[in-house]
Amino acid sequence: MITADDASAARGGVKRPELIGLGALVGAGALLVAVGTRLLTGAFAIVAISLVFASILALVVVAVTGTPESRRRIAPYGLLKPGMLWLALFYLAPLFTLLRLSLSTLPSRFAVEAEFGPTLDNYITAFTDFRPQFERGFLYAAIATVLTITIGYPLAYVIAFRGGKYRILLLGLVVIPFFTSFLIRTIAWKSILADQGFVTDAIDTVRLTWLFDGLNIMQDGKLINTPAAVIFGLTYNFLPFMILPIYVSLEKIDERLVDAAKDLYSTSVSAFRKVVLPLSIPGVFAGTLLTFIPAAGDFINAEYLGTPNTTMIGNSIQDQFLVQNNVPLASSMSFVLMFIITVFVIIYSKFFGTEDLA
Amino acid sequence: MSVPSSTGGRIARIALNAYAGFALLYLFVPIIWIVVFSFNQPKGPYNTVWQRFTLENWADPFGDEALTNAFVESLKIAAISTVIATVLGSMIAIALARYRFRGSAGLNFFLVLPLTTPEIVLGSSLATLFLDWDITRGFGTVVIAHVMFQVSFVALTVRARVRGFDWTLEQAAQDLGASPLRTFWKVTFPLILPGILAAALLSFALSLDDFIITLFNAGSLVTFPLYINGAFARQFPPEVNVLASVILIVSVALMLGGTLWGARGRRKSAT
Amino acid sequence: MTTPAPNPFRLPAGRSAMSRRQLLIRAGALGAAGVSLPALLAACGSDSDSGSSGSTPGTTGSTSGGGGGADGGLFFENWPSYIDPTEDGATGTVDRFMEATGIEMRYTEAYNDNNEYFAKIQPLLGRGEPIDPDIIAPTSWLANRLITLGWLDKLPLDQVPNAANLRADLQNPAWDPTGEYSLPWQTGFAGIAYNSDVTGREITSVDDLFDPEFAGKVGALTEMRDTIGVIAMSLGIDISTLTSFAEAQPAFDKLQEAKDSGQIRRFHGNDYFDDLSNGNLAITIGWSGDVAAIARDNPAVKFVFPESGATSWADTMVVPKGARNVEAAAQWMNFVYDPVQAAQITTWVGYVSPVEGVRAEVEKLDADLANDPLVFPDDATLANTKGFAPLSEAVEAEYDAAFSAITGA
Repeated sequence: MITADDASAARGGVKRPELIGLGALVGAGALLVAVGTRLLTGAFAIVAISLVFASILALVVVAVTGTPESRRRIAPYGLLKPGMLWLALFYLAPLFTLLRLSLSTLPSRFAVEAEFGPTLDNYITAFTDFRPQFERGFLYAAIATVLTITIGYPLAYVIAFRGGKYRILLLGLVVIPFFTSFLIRTIAWKSILADQGFVTDAIDTVRLTWLFDGLNIMQDGKLINTPAAVIFGLTYNFLPFMILPIYVSLEKIDERLVDAAKDLYSTSVSAFRKVVLPLSIPGVFAGTLLTFIPAAGDFINAEYLGTPNTTMIGNSIQDQFLVQNNVPLASSMSFVLMFIITVFVIIYSKFFGTEDLA
Repeated sequence: MSVPSSTGGRIARIALNAYAGFALLYLFVPIIWIVVFSFNQPKGPYNTVWQRFTLENWADPFGDEALTNAFVESLKIAAISTVIATVLGSMIAIALARYRFRGSAGLNFFLVLPLTTPEIVLGSSLATLFLDWDITRGFGTVVIAHVMFQVSFVALTVRARVRGFDWTLEQAAQDLGASPLRTFWKVTFPLILPGILAAALLSFALSLDDFIITLFNAGSLVTFPLYINGAFARQFPPEVNVLASVILIVSVALMLGGTLWGARGRRKSAT
Repeated sequence: MTTPAPNPFRLPAGRSAMSRRQLLIRAGALGAAGVSLPALLAACGSDSDSGSSGSTPGTTGSTSGGGGGADGGLFFENWPSYIDPTEDGATGTVDRFMEATGIEMRYTEAYNDNNEYFAKIQPLLGRGEPIDPDIIAPTSWLANRLITLGWLDKLPLDQVPNAANLRADLQNPAWDPTGEYSLPWQTGFAGIAYNSDVTGREITSVDDLFDPEFAGKVGALTEMRDTIGVIAMSLGIDISTLTSFAEAQPAFDKLQEAKDSGQIRRFHGNDYFDDLSNGNLAITIGWSGDVAAIARDNPAVKFVFPESGATSWADTMVVPKGARNVEAAAQWMNFVYDPVQAAQITTWVGYVSPVEGVRAEVEKLDADLANDPLVFPDDATLANTKGFAPLSEAVEAEYDAAFSAITGA
């Protein structure tokens, strides 16, 4: 992108304010994280906080006294600072606290303060006792992600290429359901698919229960409280996160390009495969991340639509944290979840990578 | 698009459209249920089995006091956190889109991270921070948590919207003698406002609907989703359906209004 | 009605016009004064106290939204559906209490599960800080734990003359040997609840929970002592004398097997009304009074004492340490230990009242109920129930770990 600044940047520009700006931003963020995680305490914390204020002061001093050029150089850091510091304190610092707690133990069962080991006991418990939940969590999320692609891609395709002037309206229709609370939507599914609800009754009336049972969609004539129901709920709840990015990537494709491809490859199918599909991969990639990641950590669907045999890792973290009161163990499980997801994202980016998620 | 070349092609086309239609219908099944059951007169505390039609629930949508309180609490949180997050996020977006500067790639990456962290990790880690600092969880901590996940969202949404913005307009205004601040308010801000409003609206909806992160950081505070989850132990009153339908209607109205307003704005700037 | 709280977010007029220099000076002063992060964070967190009035779930329709806790009123956090509300022309106990004493009272129903509630209050009480409610309703075993941890205040029993009406068998109980920390709220039984429309037959035995005919339509309580207790009794284990984990192992094994095979659809707390009534659950382990409430809407739902026996339990009223309205709490306890008032609660909740003399009062209101063995158990019924033995902390930890491993989360 070409901006008004490029000319001066090419000339070498004024480097000093830029360094001050970046240094002040990163430094202040790091200090906040250190204080937030209690690496710095007492007098050190007060010094650190004063330094954060000083860094803000420095920005303001440059903004007031500097030349227009240095002002322009410092501006982005000033704009970034409040938001980035918020994230440093309330996103990054908590992750470090989580890490420290995951390496701690509770000195007694009802203790309030965990004692830092460091110990890997919690991680060992997480991997041994909660392995099935981890496996189920990732398996269900993966299946749900594939289902959202199979349901969402054609819909996004039709809206993008056949929506015509109704595109925006159709896209609005995709989004509208998600303006009602997802808890209520999940309870709605629970009620719609209940054992004596009209859907089960209908399947029963047309005597297709054997078919659904055979496909593992039903279990003993039940539609809910089955693994399929949990996956179904995940699919439903995260579908728009798949549709929207795919739509965005499809919409960017020039229709003339598609037409040209049809002439070139003679059939629509191969035109799709050779032109449309590759160009929409970034959308599928973004959609996969936006679906898989929240689905892997979800516990609402398993809670309302599952059984004790379909609990996902999210249920376990929630239970250990908020019911069993074992925060160190819950922390280690959270950390493992995040770690596995990060590894997945890195590997996945290598294959389908785009530099831009947004 | 080119004309379908064969009957097979036409059938495939119809089949694809039908498939997409069913997918769209699938999205609406629970919504239809929610709206229909807002007219139900349930027997007992759970509005989950159809009994008979009534308009009573709509006559007094705020009849359930505790539910209404929770709903108001959610609106308050969403309003406050959206204002904070929109300001912070828009500033970040402008910095990223307007300027080219050292460290932007790294900061950009950092901004995406919260969106690729599962909600349960966001919620539980923030709760450990509050526990560690011995801070009572409640209204303030929920606002902090919501701003945290909204900032990245707003920043990335606004950045995507202002990407195509012609920043030389600013230069032109300043060349004509306007101060940078005046330039921003008179030239830049009106042009990027629709993008900011759209991001604010969506992040308001995110806050209103958030359950997982809120659950970990709410303490004894009860928001609308927390109320529904807790109340499901003893009741599921039709007022829940009514309020959910109200949210639905309001957001559809806002979306329609926004689209119309956007279309008008485009026409105006085109002339 | 409550007056709106001052809006903490509205700046005084003129503040926004503060110049940049003034802002800097203020920021500098803040830094110099050592206003540190924790203080700032704490300032954010403390909003919860002022913002919480009237916002807790399940505030019964009978109470006014405001008052409670810190504001000088009385705050009682209880289990759901555990008191008569103001409805159908009847005045609920909370409203009658407020009328009689002039005390503002906030009554909420946020108590869904003992472990969950403990996890919620532990960060505060464990640090010696007060929680909002003045009275909470732990089940006896949790009351015992709270007493042992020193997290409760003694009840001002000298201000509760009606405490003399406490049933003889509940005086100086095992969980509170001196009787100074707790007064029972209600007592009751856990047995089998079933929907006869779905089962198609009468249920009499715990074995029916494991009948393959009901595969995937069976529930159990998340309350370990009730679920394990009922199953253990059917295996001939005396739950009132348990001292080790090994003795109860067979019950855990049986539950594990049923869970693994998919026999069990879900573990639930109070939230089984809907599933049992709609037939998603055919049969489950449930609480006697709850079932009476479901049966009011759906007569097909029934509660039985299994042949092998039911567990008996008690939920208590206790005052957490540092509670602000102890005197009002005493007045409340005195009020509900008056048999006339207690009878109103009993007729609505259908549990066994801990108050002596309630039966005579209930007889005036509802003669049938006065003869209901679930509400006024005769000796034969009582002989068929057992309370869960008090467990030492180490043994309890074993039980809890084994149980939470089965419930699957």
